Amino acid sequence: MDKHNQDLAGSVAARDRGLARLRAAAVSATAASMIAAGALAFSLPGGTHAAVTSTRATQSSGSSGQTSKTPGTSGAAKKLSTPTSAPTASSGTGQATSGGS
Amino acid sequence: MLSPSTAFWYASRATGVVAIVLLTAVVVLGIVVSRQGRLPGLPRFAGLGLHRYLSLLAVGFVAVHVLTAIADSYVSISLAAAVIPFVSAYKPFWLGLGAVSIDLIAAIIVTSLLRHRIGRRSWRAVHWLAYLSWPVALAHGIGASTDLRGGPLLGLTITCALAVLGAAGWRLASAIRALPRARLVPGLMAAPDDLLRAGHR
Repeated sequence: MDKHNQDLAGSVAARDRGLARLRAAAVSATAASMIAAGALAFSLPGGTHAAVTSTRATQSSGSSGQTSKTPGTSGAAKKLSTPTSAPTASSGTGQATSGGS
Repeated sequence: MLSPSTAFWYASRATGVVAIVLLTAVVVLGIVVSRQGRLPGLPRFAGLGLHRYLSLLAVGFVAVHVLTAIADSYVSISLAAAVIPFVSAYKPFWLGLGAVSIDLIAAIIVTSLLRHRIGRRSWRAVHWLAYLSWPVALAHGIGASTDLRGGPLLGLTITCALAVLGAAGWRLASAIRALPRARLVPGLMAAPDDLLRAGHR
């Protein structure tokens, strides 16, 4: 009977250890994911969103703004964010004199 | 740069990248646990539990990825486009792949939650969709944004692809190795009958 109880206690202890490890792994994975997401959000390249948005705001062409949806760092977005094609409203540098259409 | 007006956009991109990594971990863990039964340092139930937990965590990140993309005012992505493939006005093909992946993941999660009701056979059949869902999700990530196509995240993309390919290859190899043993099973199953008959004689 004692042997049976010892086996049972050993199994319960092993299960508790397994659960503790599972919990630790779950917490670590959650924390790592959140930290990674935060770090990525701050470090992802491309200020194009702001540039394109401000360009769209300054153009005010009356369109719905759906034609130039090139987010991220795609080539088109880079083009839009360059000063020659899209002088931003708040830059005030006076360099946008290349005659952007 | 991250600012209040661009927060949703950056959050969507960042959570999308993390979701791909988590989905990769889920697929690899699922393969390892199903073939080997347990992970080093973890009992079998904990390996399965971790697989399930990471699945739900990945779904959470996918949900945030979708909701922030919808909430962002820069591109107009409707809620319907997030779940109905190829109806989005913005990059219909690549966002359509994302919708396909979400639908497949939803099917896998729902059938896993209802596993005891639908039976192991049906659950397993639907669970095989994970092998389709993961590459579709990766293709969506590569096609819809340039983040995973270059820079340091290209290395992450390649690592994820190699991890899943390696795990799938290992599974395939071990299944092929197990084939001759599977052929022996009918013979082994018949053996006790033969022994019984011999005993009766």
